[in-house]
Parts: sequence; C-alpha cells; structure tokens
Amino acid sequence: MLLHRRIYQFFIVYCLAVAGLMGIKYALSLSDYVIPGPLALWETAKETFGLYFKDVANTLMVAVVGQLLSIALALVLGITGRRATWFGSFIKVAAYNIQAYPIVAIAPIIFILLGDGWISRLLIAAMICYFPLLLSVIGIMSEPVTDIEHFYRVTGRMRWQLEVKIRAFENLNKLTTVIAGSATLAMAGTIVAEFIVADAGIGYAIRVALFQSDLSKILVALFLIGLSLSVYQGLLEGAGMIIKKGWAQKS
Amino acid sequence: MPFAVKNICVRFPAATRFVFNDLSFHLYAPGFHALFGPSGVGKTTLARVITGDLKPLSGSIDAGTLSTFLYSYNLERLPDWSTVGNHLEKVTPPGRETLRKDLIHIFKLKDCAQKRFSLLSLGQQNRVNLLRYLLQDFDILIMDESLGNVDEPTRESILFKIKEMFPDPYFLYISHNVVEVARFCQSIVILRGSDRTPQSRLISGMDARSGVSPDSRKLEQTMLEIVNASS
Repeated sequence: MLLHRRIYQFFIVYCLAVAGLMGIKYALSLSDYVIPGPLALWETAKETFGLYFKDVANTLMVAVVGQLLSIALALVLGITGRRATWFGSFIKVAAYNIQAYPIVAIAPIIFILLGDGWISRLLIAAMICYFPLLLSVIGIMSEPVTDIEHFYRVTGRMRWQLEVKIRAFENLNKLTTVIAGSATLAMAGTIVAEFIVADAGIGYAIRVALFQSDLSKILVALFLIGLSLSVYQGLLEGAGMIIKKGWAQKS
Repeated sequence: MPFAVKNICVRFPAATRFVFNDLSFHLYAPGFHALFGPSGVGKTTLARVITGDLKPLSGSIDAGTLSTFLYSYNLERLPDWSTVGNHLEKVTPPGRETLRKDLIHIFKLKDCAQKRFSLLSLGQQNRVNLLRYLLQDFDILIMDESLGNVDEPTRESILFKIKEMFPDPYFLYISHNVVEVARFCQSIVILRGSDRTPQSRLISGMDARSGVSPDSRKLEQTMLEIVNASS
C-alpha cells in the first residue's frame, strides 16, 4: 500500500514538473535544443532507458550499501551515546557540528585519497546520510519512555538492552520514517559523488548529458532516479511496518 | 517500625514558593495509609522524596530498617510487544507464582492475560500495573491513583484483599476520593500547602476490613474531619 502510494505520488510530481517545463517551452517559444518536446523526450527515453536503468541500479546499490553502513553505525553510536555521560555529550556535540558542515565539500579530498571508484562513492553516500541519521537515533534513544521504564527502573530490572528495546519499539514509526528519509540522502550523496568525479552510475550519466546539453536525457535519468527511490522508500516503510507487526505479534 | 517525614523542605528551581517548608509527620505502624490533599499540593512530589527520586533542600525521611520503597502511578504502561500474561510472568520473582495467580483472580484479570496492554480498558490497565508492583519486594508501596477508573465493588474487594494479604509493609494510597480514604485507611495524612500552618494533619481513618459493616456515623465524621482539615 505504501509502495503503491509512493509510486503514484512520484508519477504525479514528475508529470507536473514535465508539464511545467512544456508550459514554459510553449509559452516562451523555446527551441527543442533548450527544452525538448514530448516526442523528442519519448524517443530519448526509448533509446536510453536500458542503459540508464543499469546506471540507476548501480547508483542505488551504492546508496543502499552506504545507507546500511550508516544505519549500523548510527545505531551503535546512538545507543552508546544515549546516556547523559561525557561520552554521550561528546557524540551529540560532535554529530551536531559535523552535520552542520557540508559533507559534499570534502568529497574532493576523498576522491584524491581513494580515487574515483566504488569506495569513494560509498563513503560519500554513507557520510551524507550518516549524521542526520545519528542525530535522530540519539534523539530517540536518549528520550526516556517514563511511563514504561519507571517500573523496570525502580524494581532494578532495567538493563541497557531492555531500555533500547523499549525506546526502539515505542519509536518504531519515527525510526522507519527517519530511515526511509535517509534513503534520499544516501541516493543524493551517491549521485553527487558520481557527478563530481566518478566514472559510473546515474550521476556520471547526468554529467555526460549536461556536457551534451541534452535535457531530455537528464529528464529520463531523473524519472528513473525518482522511480527507484520511491520503490526503495516504499519497501523500507513496508519493512518497518512488517517488523512492527511481527514484533507486536511475537509473545 | 515507625515511618517519619522530618522537616522536609522542597522548592523547585526557579520557583518562588516552597512546595514543602518544614513538613513533618509520623506513621506509627505498617498498614494502609493515605496521602490526601488538593491537586498541586505536592502529593506526588512527596512520593518522589520518600522514594529518593527527589532530594529535598533539607530534612530527611526516617524509615528505620525499611529499605525498599516503590512508587506506582496510574499512567504507567506495559510494553506492547508481548501479552499482559507474559509480562506478568517475566516480572514475577521466583516462588511467587501462586501469589501472581491469586492476585490475577482477585483483580479480575484472568481474561486480560492473553491481551496486549494497550487493548485493555483504563481500569484494567491500572489493575495490571498495581498487580505487578504487589509481586515485588517492598517495605513501602506508594499507590498514586493506582485504582483510578476501577469500578467501586472491584476496588473495594481489591483494597480489602491487599490489606489482608500484605499486613507488613506500609501502603501510602494517594486518592482524591474522600469516602475511600476515610473508610479504608488506617490514617490519612492531609497535605495543606506550604503557606498553611500546620502544613499537614494526621487523621485516623476507619481502617475497614472485609466482612465488617461500616459505622456510617463514624464514617461521616471522619470524612468531615478530612474535608475540614484540607480546606
């Protein structure tokens, strides 16, 4: 249901955007060179769909691995840093400050040190979605669910595992939303990395299309990016719902 | 072992007035006692001072050898990842399985065991919550509106049974129900606010037991005393 909704919402937004472009084209009598007409767009789509589909799949794979890495790291550090200890405060302050810095700006350093391959793209994707994710996880994990935790605390039953379980369970919707949202960041990070230097992925394809001033190729690439991201986010949200349902049914 | 609150002063940071200013009272024997007073007078704050969650500016709690203080309140929840029955099983200390079964029967919660906490009515939720506290070791149990939303006959039978089954610990029952505190409690500590002298008054309750019909004149008199002391 979520997946279905995500996809048709994307179709609506994409169609509106293309319709807007066409509106500008015909209102200002712009040539096909500036904004291609619907027919040229269709022809380009037929030509490049297969190639761009592989590129998007490549980018999505990097983004997914990068995001998984970020989620794992954010959970570990978020759980460790949830307490009001000096270490917890250090992690929070560090995350806030690093998050305020545009990670894309340090991408060139990563490319210089690690080259323009898969690892650099992965690292940038992971870094871009990591800090917002970490801040959200810390926020969720450091907020006590007093109504539930009180009993376990006063009777000496509270262990860190139980505390994390309670807070994660009570905030599963928030966590799912944050994780689904971070998918966009991971995808954006990967595309930006590909756009800057890399030699593969849809970001690289967009860069080539940009050099060719071919807006129709860019529009086809954007369609595939949006579609793949909608499917991925829908699947993440669906997974979150299944986990919550399964968790609630297990006794 | 008597329990005493001695010269407690509490003022919250940035607040201009004291919640308690030299508050003192004694409870001389274990049993069912009440903390009574208007909303905002500091009943929950006092509960937190007694359990050690809140450190007073000055004063102390003299509980002698009493060491385990528990505070339960009516907004508590059980996690919804498991059934109420499973949760209760998990928090039952070894050797108290029979007590758990008895309490489930007394609290009329048999039908709730297979349900998730969020699916229970408010009255059932409050009973489940109180039940799990009664399974623990405690010297003092503070029950902050713990039987809220429970119908009167059930509440009455629960209170009678608690008094019967747990004669050794202290119970501090926080309630706004004058009839209830007057009838069931051994003594009632009336909190009157830090601007009044004395800040608290101790009134003897009827300490009703199961099977003994209440003396309605005496009950009325106790209720009047409570209302007069708190107003």
